[in-house]
Amino acid sequence: MYRLNSIRKCYGSNVALDIEELTIAEGRLYTLTGANGAGKSTLLSILAFLLPPTSGEIFYAGNRVDWNPGSVEEYRRKVTLLHQSPYLFGGTVYDNVAFGLKARGVQGEAQQRRVDKALDGVGLQGFRDRKARELSGGEAQRVAMARALVLEPEVLLLDEPLANIDRETTGVIETVIASLPAQGTTVVLITHDPEQPDRLNGVSILLEGGKVAMPHPPGRR
Amino acid sequence: MDFLVSSFASALRLIGSFSPDVVDAVGTSLAVSAGATVFAALFGIPLGVLVGLSDFPLKRLVVTLLNTLMAVPTVVVGLVVYGILSRQGPLGVLGLLFTPTAIVIGGTLLAAPIVANYALASVRGADPRIVPTALTLGAGRFLAVGTLIGEIRFGILAAVIAGFGRVVSEVGVAMMLGGNIRGYTRTMTTAIALETSKGEFAFGMALGIILMMVALLVNLFLNLLQKR
Repeated sequence: MYRLNSIRKCYGSNVALDIEELTIAEGRLYTLTGANGAGKSTLLSILAFLLPPTSGEIFYAGNRVDWNPGSVEEYRRKVTLLHQSPYLFGGTVYDNVAFGLKARGVQGEAQQRRVDKALDGVGLQGFRDRKARELSGGEAQRVAMARALVLEPEVLLLDEPLANIDRETTGVIETVIASLPAQGTTVVLITHDPEQPDRLNGVSILLEGGKVAMPHPPGRR
Repeated sequence: MDFLVSSFASALRLIGSFSPDVVDAVGTSLAVSAGATVFAALFGIPLGVLVGLSDFPLKRLVVTLLNTLMAVPTVVVGLVVYGILSRQGPLGVLGLLFTPTAIVIGGTLLAAPIVANYALASVRGADPRIVPTALTLGAGRFLAVGTLIGEIRFGILAAVIAGFGRVVSEVGVAMMLGGNIRGYTRTMTTAIALETSKGEFAFGMALGIILMMVALLVNLFLNLLQKR
């Protein structure tokens, strides 16, 4: 799905990311681990096409990404990033989950059907008319997950989606995440939970000082 | 003291009787202020949002300039626009001087920096996750910025109201560009200045009361928005 060659991201003289080579295969689940400041969020932002690298090449589905505004917009419609503290827009849960569908011109019954299905998927049936700003942290996280999943993205990027949420919500979201590769979705997830890579049966990528220290350890799929 | 009390009572009677001169001045004031505010919003909001969202080499200078323009005396704006619209000026052939349109032009120049600065402050104070969230959900640049404006709509509305407050209460531009023509370009503020100088203190006070009520309503609304 992705191939990264000699990717560097610098902020002034500080090198945040320096990856010689990294391949992310289609329909697989990857967990991204490393200490704070290792470059995990920077890498995720680059994979989400929100942040261009300072130098290097990225290939997505075999095509070299040129970072032109028009083509980047196209790539962004295939990839969705979910932050650790997701921002919910004002309005209802429905407005939030339908946001990306509206941006893609999906309207009417198709829109409603997909929103309802996504809310069902994260266990939020009956929440569609609730005000998004009045939800608890765990509910908000699940709405953000539904908002990402409703788009059926080719790649789902998750920046510590299970931090600061309760155990019940963690279980719901982990189940949803673990089921995605079987549906063809590529998942890259940042985690600080040492047991999560095993629970999700993912390929572990360890970042240290902006470099890939352990891309594909043996013994994991 | 009796003078003030009797003038106040006369002012209330003038307001209550819907004196044509009072109604004219109030109508002209509100009309030119609304027109200027609309144009100021059309220029100021995009400018403020653009400056707020962009990074460019002279950004600090542009922000300083916008801040400075907020404090430009109204008579200076009146003077500059007078020079442009007067018969010898570059736009003199249009014959706009001493018309409501001239007041709208001057009011727009007064209010636009205020609207832009308030909009800029709203963008700066907005949650930094709004635009990236919209982008990663597949929004194009315009939809992402539109979403941001929707999320900070109360701040943007406050910007517009602050612009209106500036225009409706100023006297320099209206006097210099409108000429204080009765029933045509006479606004509340120019009428107060003129009638008071003629000794019609009660008339001036009537308009002053209405102007204060408008200013009070604008500020109450602004306060309400800022709390949301």
